[in-house]
Amino acid sequence: MAPDPNRTAGGASGSGTTKEGKDDTVAKKKVENEDLSDEDLALKQQLELYVERVQDPDPSLQKVALESMRQEIRTSTSSMTSVPKPLKFLRPHYGTLKAYYETMSESDLKKYLADILSVLALTMSAEGERESLKYRLLGSDGDIGSWGHEYVRNLAGEISQEYAKRQSEEAPIDDLMELVQQIVAFHMKHNAEPEAVDLLMEVEDLDMLVEHVDKTNFKRTCLYLTSSARYLPGPDDMLVLDIAYLIYLKFEEYPNALQIALFLDNLQYVRQVFTSCDDLLRKKQFCYILARHGITFELDEEMVADDDDREVLQDIINNSKLSEGYLTLARDIEVMEPKSPEDIYKAHLLDGRASSGASVDSARQNLAATFVNAFVNAGFGQDKLMTVPSDSSSGGSSGNWLFKNKEHGKTSAAASLGMILLWDVDSGLAQIDKYFHSNDNHVIAGALLGVGIVNCGIKNDCDPAMALLGDYTDKEDSSIRIGAIMGLGIAYAGSQNEQLRYKLAPILNDAKASLDVIAFTAISLGLIYVGSCNEEVAQAIIFALMDRSEAELAEPLTRLLPLGLGLLYLGKQVYRCESVEATAEVSKTFNEKIRKYCDMTLLSCAYAGTGNVLKVQNLLGHCSQHLDKGEMHQGPAVIGIAMVAMAEELGLEMAIRSLEHLLQYGEQNIRRAVPLALGLLCISNPKVNVMDTLSRLSHDTDSEVAMAAVISLGLIGAGTNNARIAGMLRNLSSYYYKDTSLLFCVRIAQGLVHLGKGLLTLNPYHSDRFLLSPTALAGLVTMLHACLDMKAIVLGKYHYVLYFLVLAMQPRMLMTVDDSLKTLPVPVRVGQAVDVVGQAGRPKTITGFQTHSTPVLLAAGDRAELATEKYIPLSPILEGFVILKENPEYRED
Amino acid sequence: MGQGTPGGLNRQGLPGDRKPDGSGKKEKKFEPAAPPARVGRKQRKQKGPEAAARLPTVTPLTKCKLRLLKLERIKDYLLMEEEFVANQERLKPQEEKAEEDRSKVDDLRGSPMSVGNLEELIDENHAIVSSSVGPEYYVGILSFVDKDQLEPGCAILMHNKVLSVVGLLQDEVDPMVSVMKVEKAPLESYADIGGLDAQIQEIKEAVELPLTHPELYEDIGIKPPKGVILYGEPGTGKTLLAKAVANSTSATFLRVVGSELIQKYLGDGPKLVRELFRVADDLSPSIVFIDEIDAVGTKRYDAHSGGEREIQRTMLELLNQLDGFDSRGDVKVILATNRIESLDPALLRPGRIDRKIEFPLPDIKTRRRIFQIHTSRMTLADDVNLEEFVMTKDEFSGADIKAICTEAGLLALRERRMKVTHADFKKAKDKVMFKKKEGVPEGLYM
Ligand SMILES: Nc1ncnc2c1ncn2[C@@H]1O[C@H](COP(=O)(O)OP(=O)(O)O)[C@@H](O)[C@H]1O
Ligand SMILES: [Mg+2]
Repeated sequence: MAPDPNRTAGGASGSGTTKEGKDDTVAKKKVENEDLSDEDLALKQQLELYVERVQDPDPSLQKVALESMRQEIRTSTSSMTSVPKPLKFLRPHYGTLKAYYETMSESDLKKYLADILSVLALTMSAEGERESLKYRLLGSDGDIGSWGHEYVRNLAGEISQEYAKRQSEEAPIDDLMELVQQIVAFHMKHNAEPEAVDLLMEVEDLDMLVEHVDKTNFKRTCLYLTSSARYLPGPDDMLVLDIAYLIYLKFEEYPNALQIALFLDNLQYVRQVFTSCDDLLRKKQFCYILARHGITFELDEEMVADDDDREVLQDIINNSKLSEGYLTLARDIEVMEPKSPEDIYKAHLLDGRASSGASVDSARQNLAATFVNAFVNAGFGQDKLMTVPSDSSSGGSSGNWLFKNKEHGKTSAAASLGMILLWDVDSGLAQIDKYFHSNDNHVIAGALLGVGIVNCGIKNDCDPAMALLGDYTDKEDSSIRIGAIMGLGIAYAGSQNEQLRYKLAPILNDAKASLDVIAFTAISLGLIYVGSCNEEVAQAIIFALMDRSEAELAEPLTRLLPLGLGLLYLGKQVYRCESVEATAEVSKTFNEKIRKYCDMTLLSCAYAGTGNVLKVQNLLGHCSQHLDKGEMHQGPAVIGIAMVAMAEELGLEMAIRSLEHLLQYGEQNIRRAVPLALGLLCISNPKVNVMDTLSRLSHDTDSEVAMAAVISLGLIGAGTNNARIAGMLRNLSSYYYKDTSLLFCVRIAQGLVHLGKGLLTLNPYHSDRFLLSPTALAGLVTMLHACLDMKAIVLGKYHYVLYFLVLAMQPRMLMTVDDSLKTLPVPVRVGQAVDVVGQAGRPKTITGFQTHSTPVLLAAGDRAELATEKYIPLSPILEGFVILKENPEYRED
Repeated sequence: MGQGTPGGLNRQGLPGDRKPDGSGKKEKKFEPAAPPARVGRKQRKQKGPEAAARLPTVTPLTKCKLRLLKLERIKDYLLMEEEFVANQERLKPQEEKAEEDRSKVDDLRGSPMSVGNLEELIDENHAIVSSSVGPEYYVGILSFVDKDQLEPGCAILMHNKVLSVVGLLQDEVDPMVSVMKVEKAPLESYADIGGLDAQIQEIKEAVELPLTHPELYEDIGIKPPKGVILYGEPGTGKTLLAKAVANSTSATFLRVVGSELIQKYLGDGPKLVRELFRVADDLSPSIVFIDEIDAVGTKRYDAHSGGEREIQRTMLELLNQLDGFDSRGDVKVILATNRIESLDPALLRPGRIDRKIEFPLPDIKTRRRIFQIHTSRMTLADDVNLEEFVMTKDEFSGADIKAICTEAGLLALRERRMKVTHADFKKAKDKVMFKKKEGVPEGLYM
């Protein structure tokens, strides 16, 4: 029944329990026929007569009676609030008719009667009796829809019960399936796709759907299927998506099919999409989708026959034009002008005091400025610190700025050049080149890292990153090694590059390598083989973990080893990749210092983005334990909750609630992780309630909680230019002006909020929040894990872990291009996305929209639609690059 | 949840959270933390502590497996929360700690406390307050007071000596509104209504169905009607039907009479309307019933007196609420009046109250039903022939019939008879008809 609206306990409901039904019967009894209107009375008597006639020995009379009864029932129009009159009057005779039915001999008439009994059972059958179904099966098998919607609906319910029963008894189900066929056909014709799908899910035969969908309803059907998949327990969700994929393919909605293929991480399906479609332009669109998802994918002849075409397409997948598109966007929005950190801090808005504090620990300040500069000018190719021509007089020339940083600070400074030239491989390499000749190891390390960053997400046939960095992984100096290894990890994330495995895996077991080198190698391997379940890499990391001494296990950086292992299984649940189990088993044998940590990381990675409630429960369970000293696995457990729950909106909202409880009850190590988890849940999506919570925590007495909260404020506002967060951070910068560590965090957060001057997002979800880019998530998680020990890692000498965020950086834009891939400005409406699943008709998909001309920025939860009929987009989801085709039917008026 | 409990989950934090711990910032004397972003502007209810408790909305509304799955997902999370909290409470009860904090706060508050009014917020730690008696003071606000909820004009608790703000009184629901809530459902049910089948059906479709089965409307793709107006001759059962709705529904039922909305002080009427709808929203799903709406809803002429203008303002507020600037999805409105023709057309235009349900005088069949209903609990003599009254040509309303029955009963009582006779009914009828036609000056009745 309906969700009970009785939420006001003790309210008006007090004696309101006398429902109408009861009143009906009581009152009706008393006054029997008297209060019936004349027509009603006539009808009643008529029906009684029919009932009598039905039992007449003369078959012809019987037939007439049954016919008329049937007529009466069918023609009665019912209201939603009451039972149709004929049914009401026939109710008392249900028993009689039933009894008589049993005595009848097999004949058409008997079937006729069964039909009528089946309808009467709708209101009469006792719960669980399923008499409607029983008589339907005995009946004449006529058109099912003729008895109305309610009847079909009821029947469907009874079928699913019956089905469950027969399954347990292993009884045949052919007759049921026959009926299911009819019902599904009926529902699909009457705009009730969800009901059809529900029934088929109950009877576990979704395949049947494929033959019943048609041009008018397949979209709604598939939307319902894909939305349900989020909430179905595995592996049912895969089945549902498979069907949706088949349907999309059948109706040549290739982009949707491709998305499902990517969701399933099924490259076979991706291939199939390419081979099924023979329109080159559409294939280009597929390539854009693949590029945004960030997976490595090689086209072959079968997918694209022509060599030249294939090259063009592969270029799109390789993101070679990403930088160009991004800069076009920047020019269109007019934000090319470089910004300095001071433009971001906006110290003039604060009262005098803050600026005076800047003198303290200026190295830290400069380092912060380096990061802010890198984040804010990311991808623009110009800034005010690093790219200023060095021949210009003293001022802020790049050489000077680099050397305003000390030691390891120079690594981050040199690498920041990579961030500024992000995606622009050619000029990036040219500009970074000068640092390779430095005689300062830190600078070289930074240059190596910078090269990796420039190449993030870009694939190039010449493999410049490999060529440049390959030689440095085995150098003496560990900072150089780390730079090269991390650079490779970022540049080749998700590529599963064999060559790199041969190069990097041995380092893990290199007795001479220091712990930090090993830790970063593990992460880089994890990134390169993210979600691949690669056994060899897993083995190598496991051995490395086993080799660690007790003392080493206590080091803060050791946490990156289990994480590297976890990344290999990112998003692969147990049933999609058995080796997770095996690895989890092995991890049980680890030293107890790291065992649980490893366990949590594996669990949370394997189920990242699945929304699996059981795993959330498991992780929460770990958080509710009281810890002995020295255990640190609760941090990853908390982050794990966010990783698992971020899959869908409901889980996300509910996880935020759960995290509030953790804050209330948890101990320090949990409270430190909660802000980070919130940051991940709402990344680049500043929800007001989360903002408030984080703002509160940013004043926490525990400085590490405060630091995490500040960083997370930056994460939730990343790339949004959100004025409220910016204001909060400004106030924090004056509040903490003497606390250099916290001030550093505040600066980083300020840089993040203005990430790419507000053109970038860190959200790993894209395509209407349907797809999760594995490399993006991996980058975020790595950074968050590093933040679990802020003091040792981010505030220590490994601040460059912040650059792992580059893996998640993507322009949050809609760029429309024509068939030659040139930008094509068209008007679009941008507004809040509305959930239209299960709604009939063509409901509005966005609200509160504004009309803009492309390219436009899309905020979290925004959706765009074309405001002109002149073009047809080749992808139903208007995000990133979308190719437009001229609409042949368009007529200017 | 008054301010007595320190630290609502989502906002203030435990007292002391904000105070920088001496170290590192020693030189700096106490600097207030960054101000909560919206001091003094009270946030809408959703954003309050209950916001955290409010569950995400679930779409689609249609009853389908997806909805079931989503609701189950929410349930799963709630169960986990429950489990977690139960676990934690067992491990290390918060009670004591909370108790400690609470007594600390009580110490700071001092007792007794006095009640005052917040006049103006100066900055986030100071305000101007006025106590019920004396002049206004410039005082401090203690740190544990939830500043997000302070709002000029709200009632506050003050320290009895230094008068600083130590808490705020939250029961802001206007007592006028709280009495409107129907706590005890009326006894009249649908069964006590004679005839009016079409009217009952219509009101069910327009008022009850949208609350219990919103998905039906979504399926079709229309917005359910916001409410209905019942109109017709006096005594035809409009109020009665509303009572029956209140009786049968499990939604909150708020009832007002139009005249109650006319208040003595300027601005109070509109405020009351606003409050009424706010409460209705808070307690949603709910049904608001405004009887005799003509008291405030008459056509707008040039108003001459201040009072008339005030009445008009009240109606304008009513219009505004009906338009639902902030969407009030689960609030349905029933209006009733005897004089629909005198109502302002703006009130009845589609989109506000677009369902008009007429209550005609009862026809013969209905009359018979009404007689039956009202005589069902009377002891009648054998000679009573109600048909005679049912069949008369006089115009009876439901109320008249009831009056006849009552009158007849009284007559019998007067003569100490145990049974009501036909003669009693006859006399009663004459009396009632007389009163109706001549006894009362025409103008007063219509
Ligand atoms: N249709 C009816 N069925 C039964 N009683 C009725 C009916 N109509 C009116 N009455 C009687 O008349 C009385 C007055 O009716 P009421 O609903 O207050 O009239 P109004 O339409 O003026 O609001 C009710 O208390 C009820 O006893
Ligand atoms: Mg009345």
